[in-house]
Amino acid sequence: MSVTPGQAVPGQPLVPLHCLRFAEPGPPRQAALPNGTPVWLVSRHRDARQVLTDPAFGRALLYAPDAPPLTSTPNLLDDPDSLLNQDGPDHQRLRRTVQRAFTPRAVARWRPWVASVVEQLVDDLVKSGPPADVVAGFSTPLPVAVISRLMALDGLDQDRMRHWSNLALSDSSHTPEEVAAALREFGAFAAQLIAERRREPGEDLVSSLLAAAEAEGSIPERQLVSLVCGLVVGGHETTMTSLGNALVYLLSEAPESWVRLGTDEEAAGAAVEQLLRAIPLGEPKELPGTVRRASVEVEVGGVTIPAGAVVAVQSQIANRDPEVYAEGQFGDLFAPLAAPSLTFGAGPHHCLGAWLARMEMQLALHRLADRLPGLRLAEPVADIDWRLGSITRSPQRLTVVW
Amino acid sequence: MSGPAGPGAAGELVVRVDRARCVGTGLCAGAAPGDFQLDADGKSRPRRDTTVPSDGLSDAAEFCPVEAITVVDAATGRRVAPLD
Ligand code: HEM
Ligand code: HEM
Ligand code: SF4
Repeated sequence: MSVTPGQAVPGQPLVPLHCLRFAEPGPPRQAALPNGTPVWLVSRHRDARQVLTDPAFGRALLYAPDAPPLTSTPNLLDDPDSLLNQDGPDHQRLRRTVQRAFTPRAVARWRPWVASVVEQLVDDLVKSGPPADVVAGFSTPLPVAVISRLMALDGLDQDRMRHWSNLALSDSSHTPEEVAAALREFGAFAAQLIAERRREPGEDLVSSLLAAAEAEGSIPERQLVSLVCGLVVGGHETTMTSLGNALVYLLSEAPESWVRLGTDEEAAGAAVEQLLRAIPLGEPKELPGTVRRASVEVEVGGVTIPAGAVVAVQSQIANRDPEVYAEGQFGDLFAPLAAPSLTFGAGPHHCLGAWLARMEMQLALHRLADRLPGLRLAEPVADIDWRLGSITRSPQRLTVVW
Repeated sequence: MSGPAGPGAAGELVVRVDRARCVGTGLCAGAAPGDFQLDADGKSRPRRDTTVPSDGLSDAAEFCPVEAITVVDAATGRRVAPLD
């Protein structure tokens, strides 16, 4: 029996995300999802970019009445009302309500505040150890604090947020009923938050997106509820995951790089781009990549993709495409990228929070390494307890000493 | 188009797209379809040599997620969008 690259081997400890091996990129090829639905796999950087940017490929079509089923347990990413699942003018109308808050200039205004949160967390971590758990004390609370402050989620505690997010991004390890119940609760929370901010607007992201939606006039309420949920989850889950997995790599394999991260803030910014390119957020499970559906027949990388076909973009593979990144997975961690990686996607759905995530990771790694240049893992990598059951995977706990 | 023609005429603007930065979101072409188009490689380019001010154009420059767009006054070269 052969094991698909990038998937866990039953009975063996899970390898860290930076150790996952993937197939070489190649022309688009046909495969099948676990449920039998045919899918075209797109793995070269150039082809992946084409699929993500070409309007011939859409998200909304994935949920059309004639569309084949994708997963057994639909999660938040499958919500037809979500930002991710709008195409064309509908998508732009909704995205414009939040875009202004996430431009590089808008995000830069948050920098001093994010830096102060990082400093506070580092102070607390240093006081609490060694040893200390860098996941509970650093990589989780940072993105949670940032999105809570941006959206002014005063009444929402971290545990509830994490519970909803885990189920909202659930893989097949939760029942559809469990996921649906969590999404209902999460939706009710968002609907109530929206009602409150309509009554009493503040300086937060929810108030500003409601004002923009009001000015726009025709955005369905369901889409606003879904957007608020998406911002809560998207705003912390991916950043928490990337930061946790970057720490596993840096502390287990790159102690010299760790020291340099602490001495040079600009170099830390370049390293974040490389880390985001090289370390995936999870392993392909039910879906082999980020999916689209062709509205018409399209040629991709010399292969004809028929109208109506489901296409999966394998960003993890494209992010190592030797045609673009001659060094392969890892080269000089502090070198600028030869081309933007596909970690934040491309095209109309290019990650809204990319600049926020970059800034959080840069400040986090720089300031932690500056204060604790001798930071190291207290346990072997093989003993790491992984957070499972979601499409992302990161350490549940990571005990460190210094 | 309104206003006097010719480069440098009062109120005329020049749109620039840094194609090395562009990630092809198409947000600019959506906000100002007269000023931007996406090429076959998925990257944006200005549709015309000079243009005139509009809300759509300011929005496009303001919204671009990678700050690939600058709009300058054709006569003075001064940046008019995005503003800090
Ligand atoms: C390291 C952290 C992050 C990674 C790797 C990441 C990755 C991505 C990717 C790959 C997409 C595109 C999905 C597709 O094309 O199918 C995306 C979209 C999105 N991301 Fe992120 N993201 C991160 C952080 C954030 C943050 C901090 C926020 C919010 C504050 C956020 C909000 C969003 C939203 C709202 C979308 C949907 C955009 C749209 O459909 O127009 N993300 N993200
Ligand atoms: C509207 C909001 C969101 C957008 C736009 C978005 C976008 C994306 C994109 C683009 C990817 C990359 C897909 C891939 O490479 O396979 C992605 C991956 C992922 N997203 Fe999101 N996301 C959103 C919300 C969330 C939320 C709320 C979660 C979860 C909590 C989440 C979790 C993940 C995970 C776990 C991956 C994993 C990817 C991998 O296999 O590399 N996303 N998301
Ligand atoms: S908004 Fe910016 S990134 Fe998007 S297509 Fe236009 S220039 Fe490119």
